[in-house]
Amino acid sequence: MSTRTINNVQNFSWKRFMLQWEWMLIALIIIIFIVNSSISPYFLNFTSISDATMTFLDKAFIVFPMVMIMIMREIDISVGSTVALASVVMATTFNAGLPMELAIVVCLLVGALCGFFNGFLLVKYRELSAVIVTLSTMILYRGIAYMILEDQSSGGFPSWFSYFGWGYIGPIPFILLLFVILAIGFALLLHKTVFGRQVYAIGSNTTASRFSGVKVDRIKLIVFTLAGVMAAITAIFLTARMGSTRPNVANMYELDVIAMVALGGISTAGGKGKMLGAILAVFVIGYLQYGLGLINIPAQMLLIVIGVLLIASVTVTNLRVKGKFKTSSKSDSKEKVS
Amino acid sequence: MSDYVLELKAITKEFPGVKALDNVHFNLKAGEIHALMGENGAGKSTFIKVITGVHLPNKGDVYLNGEKVVFHNPKEATKVGIAAIYQHVTNYPDLSVTENIFMGHEKIKKSTRKIQWKEMHADAKALLESLGSDLNPKTEMGSLSVAKQQIVEIAKALSANAKIIIMDEPTAALTHRESEELYKITERLRDEGVAIIFISHRFEDMYRLADRVTVLRDSQYIGTWDVDGISNDKLVVAMVGREIKQLFPEKQVLIDEELLRVEKLGQAGMFKDISFTLHKGEILGITGLVGAGRSELCQALFGIEPYDEGAVYFEGEKVTIKTPADAVNLGIGYLPEDRQTQSLILQWSISQNITLSSLDKISHKGWLNNQEERKMSKTLAEQVGVKTNSIFNLASSLSGGNQQKVAVAKLLTKDLKVLIFDEPTKGVDIGARSSIYQIMIDLASEGYGIIMISSEMPEVIGLSDRIAVMCEGRITRFLDKDQATQEAILEAAMSKQTSKSQVV
Amino acid sequence: MMESNLIRYVSKFRELGLLGFIIILAIVIQFLNPAFLTLGNLSDMLKNTAILCILALGMMLVLVTRGIDLSIGATLALSGMITALTVSAYPGLSPFLAILLGIIVGSACGVILGLLVSKVGILPIIASLGLMNAFRGMTFWVGGGDWVSAYQMPDSFKGIATSNILGINTLVFIAIIIFLFFYYFVNNTITGRQIYALGSNPDSAKISGINANKVYMLVYTLMGGLSGLAGVLWVSKFASSQGDTASGYELTVIAACILGGVSINGGVGKVIGVLLGAFLLGVLDNGLPLINVSPFWQMGIEGVIILVAVLFNTEIKKKVEKNNRLRRVI
Repeated sequence: MSTRTINNVQNFSWKRFMLQWEWMLIALIIIIFIVNSSISPYFLNFTSISDATMTFLDKAFIVFPMVMIMIMREIDISVGSTVALASVVMATTFNAGLPMELAIVVCLLVGALCGFFNGFLLVKYRELSAVIVTLSTMILYRGIAYMILEDQSSGGFPSWFSYFGWGYIGPIPFILLLFVILAIGFALLLHKTVFGRQVYAIGSNTTASRFSGVKVDRIKLIVFTLAGVMAAITAIFLTARMGSTRPNVANMYELDVIAMVALGGISTAGGKGKMLGAILAVFVIGYLQYGLGLINIPAQMLLIVIGVLLIASVTVTNLRVKGKFKTSSKSDSKEKVS
Repeated sequence: MSDYVLELKAITKEFPGVKALDNVHFNLKAGEIHALMGENGAGKSTFIKVITGVHLPNKGDVYLNGEKVVFHNPKEATKVGIAAIYQHVTNYPDLSVTENIFMGHEKIKKSTRKIQWKEMHADAKALLESLGSDLNPKTEMGSLSVAKQQIVEIAKALSANAKIIIMDEPTAALTHRESEELYKITERLRDEGVAIIFISHRFEDMYRLADRVTVLRDSQYIGTWDVDGISNDKLVVAMVGREIKQLFPEKQVLIDEELLRVEKLGQAGMFKDISFTLHKGEILGITGLVGAGRSELCQALFGIEPYDEGAVYFEGEKVTIKTPADAVNLGIGYLPEDRQTQSLILQWSISQNITLSSLDKISHKGWLNNQEERKMSKTLAEQVGVKTNSIFNLASSLSGGNQQKVAVAKLLTKDLKVLIFDEPTKGVDIGARSSIYQIMIDLASEGYGIIMISSEMPEVIGLSDRIAVMCEGRITRFLDKDQATQEAILEAAMSKQTSKSQVV
Repeated sequence: MMESNLIRYVSKFRELGLLGFIIILAIVIQFLNPAFLTLGNLSDMLKNTAILCILALGMMLVLVTRGIDLSIGATLALSGMITALTVSAYPGLSPFLAILLGIIVGSACGVILGLLVSKVGILPIIASLGLMNAFRGMTFWVGGGDWVSAYQMPDSFKGIATSNILGINTLVFIAIIIFLFFYYFVNNTITGRQIYALGSNPDSAKISGINANKVYMLVYTLMGGLSGLAGVLWVSKFASSQGDTASGYELTVIAACILGGVSINGGVGKVIGVLLGAFLLGVLDNGLPLINVSPFWQMGIEGVIILVAVLFNTEIKKKVEKNNRLRRVI
């Protein structure tokens, strides 16, 4: 056959390297640090930074699986409810006499079950959109949490449990350490493994993936279950920090998480984005919140900033994508306005 | 007044990187059925889009009744009486038949701008009746068969007072009986003075209907003839550009032991009673009209939509195939019909596309190995002769033919024994076509068993060792290489079962 | 064959099924507590459902175009807050002007979303999520983080929700007017049909000369205007306006649409269906406490009903398709 040789060495390109969305987020973090420290002399202080980090990290665990879900062109808006249900079940089983260690295991199981159920419905009914399925289970899961605890709160955990909320390992908060470990784990999973490659494939073209022998259903099930597990981990940290739980905890977490992921450069059109971007976005929003707190701007004002930031970032990525894929106009984003 | 209702002179249309039409001429008389023929990718679709105002030509002029016109959008073309019925049905599945017919020119009360449903339903009914159809105009469009949807599209054209109707492969998805009905309707329209451009690559359609024929090839105008004044062979040469034989490399027939045997395979509503065998080194062509169940059969063999009845034997052993992964594990590979949506991920690099179906080979315990990925994709891309300078180029940057080569390379990453090629040269230009044929023949001589589904008569005849012809879900005839002629295949493809059993 | 006919029947008369379900539910509730079907309770229920209906009708059009709007709860809160602040500053303002102000603010919010979706080309779910945050933040900002409570509002304003027009409560009256308008608009005007055509097949719509951007602008602006209106009615009804008014309400509205048979994949959705979907949620809200179902069980029951409705729908659709296929002759 043909004797033409095809180059298989990729040259390093500074342009490509610098044109990554992640630089924008890093720049944002630096700006926030500079502004924050110029406003408050206490900001650039190790304890205050690590304290700040602790307060915004709990929901960030859900960001990892949500990145994968959105890369697969799906969405999960039930995660906030899953946090609530897992947390309520943990507290209730503990107060019913289960040892705390086992209650934590139950919490993780409940989370996994919630996530698995979402995945199961989506896989069984391929024609259903994830918005509908997870909207229904969002109402259902929180509804069950209300059935269990009504308007009560439940707490009284053993003192060692608060370690999840406030503990340090050496100088580093435990939650931050776990976050970093999981972040590295998830980033490797998404970018360096067969599993991760297949996640991207599903989001870029589900049919072609299926035709190529990718086990689409199994991967979706795993990722949605992971989302449930991570929601349960969030539930553990959140409950530990608050010392008690109610059915209305973690309200609207799903939208915060989706906002972080979208700000991180992951497009809901599927197939694009990096784990690092979403992780950086967590810190952008977290430190922004902390900084606004330092200058006594109410937390709610942050909403405006997040909203504008989100729209601005998506607009910029949109323009970038349009420029890049001029030739394949047929699969343009416009078609997927759904 | 000009003799022609529509005349196109020296039309050229360029897209970034490709010339889709190059100096094309065309003319159309009132009350004429004019066939427009050419292979896939010859430029027929672009040509229609120029007439209907979807594309503005870069060069050349369009004359309507002798007057020069320029259509900036489809609406302007509709206004002057040009209507198109597209190959892929482009209607509104969730809306009623009436709404589909009147979309864009609804009847409204002048004073209140209220839609006049009663009048529209009545008009729609009358129109459909004039076409010999008793469809209820209130039916939802999406619940109708393709043939009925075509009739609605024709009614839509008539309701817009179309004087020129373009039909783009209208018979492609119809059964023989349905095609016959469409022919009658088309002839009636012609007799009423409507000018019709009929696009098809089925000779049957052309001989049955057309007065004149214009042929396009590789985006260029080849010529216009009276249908009575051109022989079949000459027309084939005009379309293909050379004698068919030259296009197909000689194949050493070395039919070996049995690889795959299918017995009485069936899938509700799609195909039934399918039995055949495939040997090592054999190319089995499966042909028939679109909608005959060919793709469904092969997708069932590949585990995409599982079959309901019958049995599959692989190397003599009975096997069950429920998912594509099952099929691949056995050693069956599938090259899908639509490479852009079913086979490739266009925004990925060539390399990533090639390795997608066998990531286990370039990984250790789940971890990807970039070195091996590069090595593997380079080897395979070179083996199938992809014209590119780097494996990191995006698949979307390749031409149709080269994309198809990448899709073939994907199959070669696996230890497969049976390859199913579904319309392997659809939308592939002539040059790349013969190299894909070469690849298929090389693969067969390496011992692969190949099933090739194709509607392209020349390639079925030129490549296959045996041909199975399907019609309405059943295999109606097997032909050996030396029996295979266009006529024999067409006859088998159009034949109907004498004893037809209800499958419900 | 019997079964397949039944399935086709069910799929065709979805609204009747929904109505039947509501009636059965009402009978059961009535049986357990005769206080349910009394004039006083029914008018209460209608009042409570009116706002949901208004919003669900707007959301239906958005969903029909394959879009979604998560910002309506925030839009509602923002226009409610601005109106509440205005009437507390100018107690003499006529209620009619107050409503108009709310609609203008809401429409402005809708226009912004429409522009982001049509001109910039951001996916509706992301664009509306961003705006949800922004509008919510602005509500806190203009409100200075405080509530506007009953004593700050003039009686004329609070009267919007309690007064009657032609013997019908004003909220219900407005909802009826809007329902009639939508019914006519969606079924009898070209623009109304274009919305469905665009959702059913965006590519063909382009060929038919439908201006997609115009339609997107229209549905999102309409949605915004209705949210603004709902904001004024909400604040008047509850006689308070705060930063987290109607937080999360967008999801209830979408749930009403889904129950009413609106497809999130576009092109499908009936005004009557949406009305019934909103009603079903209204009956549950109102009836469950009457039969001593703990209010804390309500959400769970709603969740189950929505999920069952969604799955039931899909099963029916699958069966219809399978039947169509089986009826083909080979």
